[in-house]
Amino acid sequence: MKILVVEDDKSLRQIIREALEGEGMVVETAPTYAKAVLKVEDYTYDCVLLDIMLPDGSGMDLLDHIKQIGKGENVIIISAKDSLDDKVSGLDKGADDYLAKPFHIAELIARVRSVVRRKEHKGEMSLTLGNVELKPERAWAAVAGQELELNRKEFDILAYFMARPGHLVDKQMLAEAVWGDHIDQVDNFDFLYAQMKNLRKKMKDAGADVEIKAVYGIGYKMTKL
Amino acid sequence: MRLVYRMVLRTLLILFPVMTLWGMLFYHAMIAEVVDETDDSLEDYSDGIIRRALGGDDLPSISNGSNNQYYLTPIDEAVALSMPQIAYSDSMVYIIEKGEEEPARILRTVFVNDMGQHFLLTVATPSIDKEDLIRQVFYWVVFLYIILFLTVVAVNTVVFYRSLKPLYVLLDWLDGYKVGKDNAPLVNETSVTEFQKLNEAAVKNAERHESYNRQQKAFISNASHEIQTPVAICLNRIEMMMGGDGLSEETMRGLGEVHTTLQHISRLNRSLLMLSRIDNGQFSDAAEVDAGAIAMRYVESFKEIYSYKHLSVTVETSDACVIDINPTLAETLVSNLVKNAFVHTPEGGSIAVTVGCGSLRVANTAEGGRLDDGKIFERFYQGSKKEGSTGLGLAICSTICKEFGLELSYGWSDGMHVFTVSCGR
Repeated sequence: MKILVVEDDKSLRQIIREALEGEGMVVETAPTYAKAVLKVEDYTYDCVLLDIMLPDGSGMDLLDHIKQIGKGENVIIISAKDSLDDKVSGLDKGADDYLAKPFHIAELIARVRSVVRRKEHKGEMSLTLGNVELKPERAWAAVAGQELELNRKEFDILAYFMARPGHLVDKQMLAEAVWGDHIDQVDNFDFLYAQMKNLRKKMKDAGADVEIKAVYGIGYKMTKL
Repeated sequence: MRLVYRMVLRTLLILFPVMTLWGMLFYHAMIAEVVDETDDSLEDYSDGIIRRALGGDDLPSISNGSNNQYYLTPIDEAVALSMPQIAYSDSMVYIIEKGEEEPARILRTVFVNDMGQHFLLTVATPSIDKEDLIRQVFYWVVFLYIILFLTVVAVNTVVFYRSLKPLYVLLDWLDGYKVGKDNAPLVNETSVTEFQKLNEAAVKNAERHESYNRQQKAFISNASHEIQTPVAICLNRIEMMMGGDGLSEETMRGLGEVHTTLQHISRLNRSLLMLSRIDNGQFSDAAEVDAGAIAMRYVESFKEIYSYKHLSVTVETSDACVIDINPTLAETLVSNLVKNAFVHTPEGGSIAVTVGCGSLRVANTAEGGRLDDGKIFERFYQGSKKEGSTGLGLAICSTICKEFGLELSYGWSDGMHVFTVSCGR
């Protein structure tokens, strides 16, 4: 999988490169609009991560340019602006996803994977890890081909981890992803532990060969046994 | 006190003694003239009698039907010499025709005929007529004085008010002026230089204010944007470190703490950005939103999350609470209010959400006492410091309400904080 990162901030560029390379992806970077145009015109990428505010131009213009020259690249906009207008106009112009800064590394990887996968499969998407299979659109999960009965929250948690295998997921991050942004001030995660306990028990009972491990009370990580 | 009244009052304070003095002088001059005229007529009367007496003509009757009367008495030379030749006096005189005593003006003249006989002629005219006249003059002076006074007040008021009209137009405009909002331009035609200058100064000042306001907003917005990237870098670095194996639990926990704090900074930033976006009117498109339904949704969600607090939560709906507001902001407004209630209620406390009559009321058991109404909607004011709280929630709610003409109020009843959102209708 080949990714182009268009981002003017050196440190952030470096982090994204490391993170994606850690996932086995091939990463090219471009710090400016001009360099990005050259790369996009000369090479083909599976996904372009595009910062809106570049020193010599706007990422939106680059997005237009990519669509104009008829390249079928997936584009994910990463912007510090986090404004609805940018999001709407970016998606209107043909971007595949929008990610507001600051974002979590695990989130970025999951989005890149999801965008590329969506393009490749074109139809129903399915996530597989070990003997666990999950179809997000149908809210269907199975262990070793056997359907797993999960409630809504349990399913969302499982889906979140399936999209981020091997990554530490902070419990706050998980809670916000599954319950919503409005729980940002919660200081007691009992509600999360309760769902987590049930989910882990159900997976274990079904004989799943993946496990959601607790990491020092900070968060969880999904690993293959 | 309004300037017009102040000016009229001052004018009157000066005019009052001046006009009083003028009135008195006028009155006295009139009286002197009247007395003078009376004396003149007495003198004429007396001259006529003397002339007749000296010429040996018949003297007129003592009383000639005009209430004037005279007495002619021969006197000794010695007495005559000791008296002034002409003397005026006021005293009571017996009026023959009326048969009673009346106040009169009297002229005594001493004269001598060619036989060397001295006479004293006393002529008298009743002063009743004169006093009548004086009284009339007095009344008229007072009457005119009052009329003049009232006229001065009226004219002053009208003239001042007319002249100061541009000032009042300007003041009205300033009263209605809101920084950062759409303000009507100042329409204040005037040919008075001072007012023109005042208008110019006011408009210039307003523009300066607008510019400061814009700069401040832009600053907050830019600062927040600029901070996002470094925060993102820190967060991501830490996530990558935490994702690696082989870290000790201690290091991991330390990194976790830093991660949480960075997320807090990021949240603060987002809230500030949100505030400046609302202020900038980026959420101006409104639709009819059922605030009650949103509240119910969040109450259900928070009930699950805060179940460990064992709160008793009641939702009462008597009527729909439909408000005109941007849907995104409606979510923010309602979720902030409901979240506040859940976050700040002590364990075992209660929360009451009441929806009805175009208002949404969220009440919760207080941890401490009543909050400071004046400060509660200010940025970064927190009754009690809560970990993870930005201190911007209520400021955002207040800004949202202002933007959409809703009223957000805080009250206190029976140990409960009560927040009410109501639409002005």
